[in-house]
Parts: sequence; C-alpha cells; structure tokens
Amino acid sequence: MRVEVKVDREWLEKWRNYFTEYYDIGGVEEKVREAISFTKLYIRDSIVAVSGGKDSMTMLHIVYNNISHDITVFHWDHGPWLMPRHIENEILENIRKVAPKARLVVKRYAYGANPRSRIDYVKWYKAFFRTLEEIGARHHLLGIRAEESGNRRARGSIVRKRKWIEVYPVYYFTWRDIWAYIFKHNVPVPRTYFKYAKMLGWSRARLTTFHDQEFMKYGSPNIDSIILWRNKSIMVDSSRKVL
Amino acid sequence: MSYVPLKITFRMETPVALGFPWISFDGLVLHVLLRESLGEKYYYLPTKTPIEYIIKKLDVPMIHDPPLKKWRDLYVASVSIINGQPFVFHYFKRGDFRFPSGKIRRGSGFFKDFYLKITYVPVREVVFYATGDPRELARILGKVKALGKDRNIGFGFIKEARIEEVDYEAGLVWNNKCMRPIPVEYLKEYEDAAYLAYRPPYWDKRNIKLCGVPFTKCVLK
Repeated sequence: MRVEVKVDREWLEKWRNYFTEYYDIGGVEEKVREAISFTKLYIRDSIVAVSGGKDSMTMLHIVYNNISHDITVFHWDHGPWLMPRHIENEILENIRKVAPKARLVVKRYAYGANPRSRIDYVKWYKAFFRTLEEIGARHHLLGIRAEESGNRRARGSIVRKRKWIEVYPVYYFTWRDIWAYIFKHNVPVPRTYFKYAKMLGWSRARLTTFHDQEFMKYGSPNIDSIILWRNKSIMVDSSRKVL
Repeated sequence: MSYVPLKITFRMETPVALGFPWISFDGLVLHVLLRESLGEKYYYLPTKTPIEYIIKKLDVPMIHDPPLKKWRDLYVASVSIINGQPFVFHYFKRGDFRFPSGKIRRGSGFFKDFYLKITYVPVREVVFYATGDPRELARILGKVKALGKDRNIGFGFIKEARIEEVDYEAGLVWNNKCMRPIPVEYLKEYEDAAYLAYRPPYWDKRNIKLCGVPFTKCVLK
C-alpha cells in the first residue's frame, strides 16, 4: 500500500555470504595489516573521529582491536533535525560495543536542535572545526577513503592542517573491502544502512546527515523522504527534547 | 453539491516519482483549484510568504471550496494507494540559466551539472478514495496531466483518470485502517503515530500534528 523499502533476512544473508567470501579472496586481510602498521605511527596524541558510518566504524574496530584500547573516540552529534534520534542512539551503542574501554567524547551541535540547521549549513562547519580545535589532539584519525571522490584521492593518506594532522587509516580500502570487513568481523552499523544499500546499492550507501539541504545537489533528501519519512517533520520541545 | 463515495483510479503511462511515501488527493485537488484561481500569477508567487497573504495581496478570488466532503477540519480523501517496489533514478540536471558562448566546464565550477536522485515506482495504477462531487472532480482531474515529482522529465504521466461511485466510504478510515494522516486527537485508538502534515497545504509546517499513520490500524472517535 505505502511505498516502502523492506530489508528481508534472505537478501541480507545473500550479501553477507558474498562479502565474507570476498574478504578471503579480495586481499582485505593484507590491507588491514597495512592499515595497522601505518596507524601505529600516529596513534600517540591522537583522537579517533567516529561518525558512526561504515568507514569510521571499520577504522575504530581496526584501531581498537589491533593497536590500543587506550584511545579517545570523538563523536559529533548533529542534533535531532539532522540525525534522527534512533540512529544517533544506535551509533552511540555501536561505538560502546566496538570500543568499550575507550574514552568517548561526544559533542553536540547546538544549532542542530533548530529546524533551520537543515538549510543553514555554514554554521555547522564553523561549530565543528571550533570543537576540533578545542579538543586539541595532534593527530586526527578519520575514516576517509581515496575512492570516495577525486578530491580525496588527490589528498593522500596524511594531510597536514594548520593545527593538527589528519590521518586516514582506511584510505586505500574500497567499498567492498569495508563491507567485507564489517560482515567478517560483525562490526555493528546502523540498520538504516541496509535500507539505503537495498535502494541505492552497497557502493552508494552512506551515512551523512539526513534531510539536509546541503546534499540537495546529490538528491539525497529525496531518498531520505522515502526511507526516513517519519523524521521529515519532527517536534522539539523547549528543552530540545524530541517529542 | 451532493457528495458520494468515490474510487479514483489513475492509469499511468510512465512510472511515478515520489518525494514522500504517498500523494494526498485533497492536496492534488486544491493545487489545481489554486492554479485556476491565480491563473498566470501562480507561476511567479513570492516565496517565504503565507499562502493566505499571497491570495489577499494578489487580489484574486478566494479559492472556492473543493468538491470534497469535510469531516472536522479534514477532507474525506485518502492518500495514494501504490502497490510497487521503489527504485532510484540517477540523473544530471543542468542549470536553467543562460550559458555563455564558448567552452565551459560542466564537470565542476559554476556550471557544474547537479547529480540528482529520485525514487520512482513503476506502477500501472494509482488509486485514491474520496467522498465528493463526481462531476466537479472529473472537471478538475481533467486538468491533471501527471502525478508526483519530476513530471518535467517524464515521470508520472497519466493515461486515463477514472472516477467510479462505490458503496463504501474509504476516504478517512477503511477496514479499521487510516487512509490518510488523521490527528490523534480525532482517534479513539491507533496503532502507529508520527508527526505529519494532515491538511493542505502539506508543505506548511503549521499543519503538522501527531497523526495516525496511513495504512495502520485506527478507530475514529
């Protein structure tokens, strides 16, 4: 009756088998070893920035299980208008599951409780980078991959910024490697991912902010309105709690 | 005006592109009436202005009541019943400004083509239920050439609109299921609720209330 994307167990199992097999034949293990030896050089005085998406969760899993438990995880909460609360809660739960002993720093975007945050995204960049400056770590470990865009491919796996150095441990991973790692090691990712994967394909499923007009140039809000229609209109009370 | 329960079936020529899981029938009817009332002025409406103010300022006759039965402040008109699996269509959209002569880069910079996505459902029929005046609705629906989003690139073209009289009213609730967003204050029981716009114009945030979700169980008060 209603247009809906349904993720059935059979479909998911089929892809789980595919990616688990790919892990063994696609040389993912070797890429993981390379990522570990590369990241070890920069782990001192670092923060692991985790959005909760597939790339950052893979990176967190690799760093936490193979390098050190003594890490600081930084997570940026976009606020209820940009990130539905059920997904945000799932992300925090997933981070805790993957890295239970890590120090978790969560900063919330204050303007994210305002509906205008979906349109007025310049403020986001200012608030986000100001927060990163306040945290003050020398190395920022991010889940950026070369495959994602031409700009990212041109950057290289280490980028020196004015106040910190960005390090990309999973830089040479492809989308297949990432999903293979996730299915092989049972890395938890938000369930919404599978809906997007079913609709857009595994290579295009990404977790960014939702219903965000910044991504209108990619048509993302059109897809969000079908998959996450329930979160298109939300109500927030005076204490910024979602009703 | 005599109102009778109706089943409205649109036979589709091309797939329907959607920006939400359903299309509201009363929204469609009122859209046509607003376009009729405003005439050419409809196409240069000022933005960020309440719709009532626009109608007042442009000095056009008020939109006459749509030929639909009203229950409290809701029209007895269902949302679309679309049986189909959604797919995604990817396309590039060029700017609609005047391009300069000579060579320009369309891959990046000011003239970059937008890479867009839209969800579409390939269906033969889109069905609505409503209670209204069949003759007036037939006149209005004759002006609807396409349904849904992205009609300008060929989505949602209608082959035929059929209006049939039925002996049951299914515009609000049918088989104990909400057929449109109904505010929970009008419901005795409901299975699922969400913040939804419940009356036209559906883009207006003043019309958002906690509503019983279409196609879930509910009982009217």
